Amino acid sequence: MYDYIIIGTGPSGGNIAHNLFKAGANILVLEAGKLMTKKTFPRTEADTSARLYWGGGIEFDAEAKMGFLRTRVVGGTSIVNQCLLDRFDDIALNDWIDESGVKWFSQEHLAPFYDKVENKLSLHTFTPEDMNRNAQLFTQSCDKLGVKWGALRKGQNDCAHERGNDCMACLGGCHRDSKQSSYAGYLRDDIAEGLNLQTETEVTQIENNGDTVTVYALQQGKAVTFKAKNIILAGGAFGTTKMLMQSGFKKQLPALGKNFSTHPQFMSFGLFDEEINAYKGYFQTVASKDPNLRTKGYKLENVFAPPISAAMLFSRTGTYHQEIMRNYTRMTCIEVAVRDENAGEIKVDNKGKLTIDKPFTDQDKTRRDSGRELISNILTNEGAKKIYASSFAVGLHLMGGSVIGTDPKRSVVDPEFRVHGYNNMFVADSSIYPNAPGINPSLTIMALAQKLSEQLIGTTHDIKVSEQLGA
Amino acid sequence: MTSKYLSNSALKTINRIGDMMIPKNGEFPAFSEVGGLEYIDEIVSYAPPADIKDLNLVLTILAFMPNFVLRWLLSKMENSMESTGPLAPIFRMLDVGLRGLVFSCYYTEKIPASYKGKKPLDIIGFDLTRVED
Repeated sequence: MYDYIIIGTGPSGGNIAHNLFKAGANILVLEAGKLMTKKTFPRTEADTSARLYWGGGIEFDAEAKMGFLRTRVVGGTSIVNQCLLDRFDDIALNDWIDESGVKWFSQEHLAPFYDKVENKLSLHTFTPEDMNRNAQLFTQSCDKLGVKWGALRKGQNDCAHERGNDCMACLGGCHRDSKQSSYAGYLRDDIAEGLNLQTETEVTQIENNGDTVTVYALQQGKAVTFKAKNIILAGGAFGTTKMLMQSGFKKQLPALGKNFSTHPQFMSFGLFDEEINAYKGYFQTVASKDPNLRTKGYKLENVFAPPISAAMLFSRTGTYHQEIMRNYTRMTCIEVAVRDENAGEIKVDNKGKLTIDKPFTDQDKTRRDSGRELISNILTNEGAKKIYASSFAVGLHLMGGSVIGTDPKRSVVDPEFRVHGYNNMFVADSSIYPNAPGINPSLTIMALAQKLSEQLIGTTHDIKVSEQLGA
Repeated sequence: MTSKYLSNSALKTINRIGDMMIPKNGEFPAFSEVGGLEYIDEIVSYAPPADIKDLNLVLTILAFMPNFVLRWLLSKMENSMESTGPLAPIFRMLDVGLRGLVFSCYYTEKIPASYKGKKPLDIIGFDLTRVED
């Protein structure tokens, strides 16, 4: 009998597994995906989509107007994202208090948990020397137009930028272990020290028997069963919500599946006369940091897309497609990330398949259109000859579905991260987000996981509290 | 060229669709000329079995369509983003799915040795540097 079974190894599960392991708890970590390392991460864009994501690439909302990218690998989302780590501001946290009734959402309360995560990981705030031409054009234009921008902070320790390494390659997993994923930052050393991690194990049902929890799963297609005193769900918005739904908890938890949001992102390419090579070097170093845009409900990110993704987003087919792709190296790119309304709902059909309803509301559209207009101004201001705006929304930040709150009718998880009505079932991943913060969610997921870790270690008497906790 | 997951008819249909999406044009070779389908199993094998079954079915149906009908259908899919009605989501999913397959087999480092022309990634100037210690 394990003290804890932790399901999922992304920013939440990775942090909690590390802390409980270091504290001496008897834990089992389950992960649906494979364990990949810097030596085995995919080396091509096509292989990345196929091997690292659920559904072999992309999942759609019910209307197929939005695509969701959800990883299936040890380390979860942190393997493929840019590991941009920002603390939440008062706007985000006050909105969470209003939505959830949970009073401890404040910068002051979360500060020690943020501190511990930040101290554990290696962080780098980008400097002007790190910027590629794409970023230079973005910042120059923002300065002229009076749009405030800021350098991003990334979890990384040795990207070999000075030796010409292109960080776009790490969208398929960092081949240098520089990116501070939950694997590189937390789990890699724990696995070497004997952490009980079982991969390619997809949980099909959870049965809560009061004092114990039984987990049913398919391990490489074979049925397996595990038992523990406590369970921690860390499968993210889709994974955690699906596991609870499949296990029949919807009857007791009417809010299960609701309040889904995703920061829909819309990219625009700008065609320039000069060679930009936006995919070179650190390809994401700056973003808008403008209070006006924050109030308006969106932010602009200076990004780029590798060839297949660019072809999917911007170029249809035939000669039009070839015209855009021929100019790939002369394109810049800015995306608008919308702080969307939490009007989405995650459902599971009778075959066990996820169905996502994600209405794009009038407010969302207004925010997208306002962002696109500003992007157009920024690009043309610096001399873009042509602008290509993608109408396809991509959702990378999957949030909600098992939201935190004080009211069991309107939430799934209580302010101490327990699933309402169950003392031994916990969630502290992105599924508990009450609404979209409009800020990269990773660091706060880890900070909340840190808070839950300390709560569990402090209240579980048969675990020796480690002095190493959080170190 | 054979596949463990897709029928011969399905593979031929992808080549037909691929050539409509990416015809030979200037420096750009036609989709089928590059031969990227040789590695399609490496992509398809990770898709859920139900999706592979659906893909085979769709491609088998499309195989019977004459070129002008297939072109019309592809155009309908391409312009389906703002369409409404019960078929619109299916068109949108097909559009992303088929373009995804075609672009993944074209803009890739994995080009068969039998292809002697300039690779599509070289044509667009994509030259990613990975510094691995």
